[in-house]
Amino acid sequence: MKLGVVKAYVLKELTEIIRSRLIIMVYLMPTMVLVLFGYGIRMEVTSARTLIIDNDQSHYSQLLVSKFEHSKYFDATIEKRGEAKALDEIHKAKSDILIIIPESFEKRLLHRQATQIGVFVDAAFPMRGSTMESYVKGVVLDAASQMLERLGGNVPTISINQRTLFNQAMRDEDAIVPGLIGLVMLIAPAILSALLIVKEKERGTIFNFYASPVSKGEFIAAKLIPVFLLHSINIFILFLWATYLFEVPFRGSFLLYWLTSELYLVISLSIGMLISIITRTQIVAVVLTVIVTIIPGFLYSGILMPISSMVGVSRYEAHVFPVMYYNHILYDVFLVGEGLASSKTVTYIFILALYAFCMLTLGSFLLKKELR
Amino acid sequence: MKIFWAVVGKELLSFIRSWQLVFVVLYAFSFEVYIAGSGIELKPRNIAVGYIDASGGGLSQKFLSYFHAPEFLEPILFESQEKLSQAVFDKEIMVGLVFDDTFEQNFRKNHHTSLHVLLDATAASQAFTALSYLQNIAINFTARTFPVELVTHKLFNENADNHTFMALTELLSIVTLLSVILTAVVFVKEKEDGTWDIMLLMPVNAKIIILAKSFSQVIVVMVGIVISVGFVIFGVFDTPINGSFFAFMLLSFLYAFTGTGIGLFIAAIAKDVMQVAQLSIVIMLPLIFLSGAWTPIYAMHPLLQKFSLISPLRYYIEGTESIFFRGTPFLELYPYFLGVILVGSVVYLIGFRKIGRLF
Repeated sequence: MKLGVVKAYVLKELTEIIRSRLIIMVYLMPTMVLVLFGYGIRMEVTSARTLIIDNDQSHYSQLLVSKFEHSKYFDATIEKRGEAKALDEIHKAKSDILIIIPESFEKRLLHRQATQIGVFVDAAFPMRGSTMESYVKGVVLDAASQMLERLGGNVPTISINQRTLFNQAMRDEDAIVPGLIGLVMLIAPAILSALLIVKEKERGTIFNFYASPVSKGEFIAAKLIPVFLLHSINIFILFLWATYLFEVPFRGSFLLYWLTSELYLVISLSIGMLISIITRTQIVAVVLTVIVTIIPGFLYSGILMPISSMVGVSRYEAHVFPVMYYNHILYDVFLVGEGLASSKTVTYIFILALYAFCMLTLGSFLLKKELR
Repeated sequence: MKIFWAVVGKELLSFIRSWQLVFVVLYAFSFEVYIAGSGIELKPRNIAVGYIDASGGGLSQKFLSYFHAPEFLEPILFESQEKLSQAVFDKEIMVGLVFDDTFEQNFRKNHHTSLHVLLDATAASQAFTALSYLQNIAINFTARTFPVELVTHKLFNENADNHTFMALTELLSIVTLLSVILTAVVFVKEKEDGTWDIMLLMPVNAKIIILAKSFSQVIVVMVGIVISVGFVIFGVFDTPINGSFFAFMLLSFLYAFTGTGIGLFIAAIAKDVMQVAQLSIVIMLPLIFLSGAWTPIYAMHPLLQKFSLISPLRYYIEGTESIFFRGTPFLELYPYFLGVILVGSVVYLIGFRKIGRLF
């Protein structure tokens, strides 16, 4: 590889990117995505709009109602207009939960007879529906067991003594922001590098490369190095946003974070490059990149769903995309801090390195230096 | 009118000629929707559970029998606390249960007994739900004669079935992505080639050409929607539709026009396809994720809630949810139609005017 040639080529590409308005996007996009989604995505359900119909109006039923009123998860209102009206509210998506306390609630509770509380949940958004359901269950069962204890029942109880690891406060920011870094670092570099080669094909300037003595390796290096350098700065910018703006703790080694991020950057750049090599027109390259980065980046990254819970095809698919491995390391350096002491982290770094190597080799193999 | 159809025909033809593009668009509307729908489960399922047992067996095994599908995977026995912790640290196990030696004794003597739980909370919401599952199991277990019973009805989607929901959300996101990008590129290509200014200077009415070009992309997207809904949503997932299918198609049509409006706007400010790609991501990702597809609007930051009012996708998604799940009658859908039409026509007019000027 002739370093002089590569250097000249890199300079040319760099000036091209900097001269166009692209340079703004290189730094604006990752930051914007992180800030918007970091604030925008909330998996936890708070202030679910809850209607409560209390048909009993007794001491105990009011005790139960007040449990809902004092919870940050519910935005409870006592409904007086009747059941049909309340259900209608849910149908119009103006309320999420309807709780109906039966007439004989207190009496039956005192006599230890079974009593049924009716709960209606809007499950048009299934995840939210199940979450709300389990919240309601938690509150009701908790309140009921307290009432029973007060009534003096000597029943053996099991209490859950939990130690919440890594994210003691169960903050959504801690759970989502590191994953978002993995997502952004996949999309942004890939979108930028996906057009580098196909653009020349469409404009015809690729013939310069065919005709010149520049080798394939030099060409790829020249195309990727400028984008690599520009996006390397993003690794630090995103880190600062995560730790200062979102106050995500950082427990691991910064060196590990930095080096794996650079490695991952090579991977996402080479995904873009590969697309750029196989496509013929820019539009196909854009659409294809969007499809292969955004969706797996979200679904198979462990942000929305832990990898250990995936079964069947989606489990394999998660292992095919690089984002899962990088995110494991991201969560480790931010929240866990085990670093290289865990053999899994080491394996994943190794897999990432292998991934990068294969992508680059495949790219230079598929790139043709002649007319087709 | 003849010019209009001629341009539409020409655009459709050049779309079909690029087999790669046809392939990618078809892929997006079919497999992508299918994968998202089949593979992804947002509510906690298959939670990996591990345990160590120093209590001797009987009671703890009974307790463990409450951990079953679909919420939990079969609990795995670990030899020591260290191994269990390591598995939690490696994220192979999400919930680690520790039954200590007093567990069974205390319980038999009617004492208060506690179960130690290690919980991986990197995914906060799943952890929270897992914890409440656990609490429910503990309560159910201790008081089988517990006098309070909950009868829950999940409206609109009794099994909280995620497949249809994810598939639909995915489809709507793809409609957004493609209607914007395809339109933007169609116009920017002409700009890049330098033919757009000539087009505007020709004696043909430029407005008709712009309209026809964006209409052709709307057709492409609509065909995609029909294929996707027909084969994937109805075909594979067998989704019931409680409302009017016609209303959905009409809403989609209006929304696709909104998308092309955004595309026109991007095309007007971008110089080449590279800039289109960057700009569309910057504009569309917020549109998609602030639309309420991933997180309910009222749970967002108050400022973002205001922003989401201008996301046309918000009205499209809410409208589609209402049509498919809630079965809202046609006439009561007017807020969603109004939203899409209002935001859509503003966006389209801005884009239309901006692209129609000479540079």
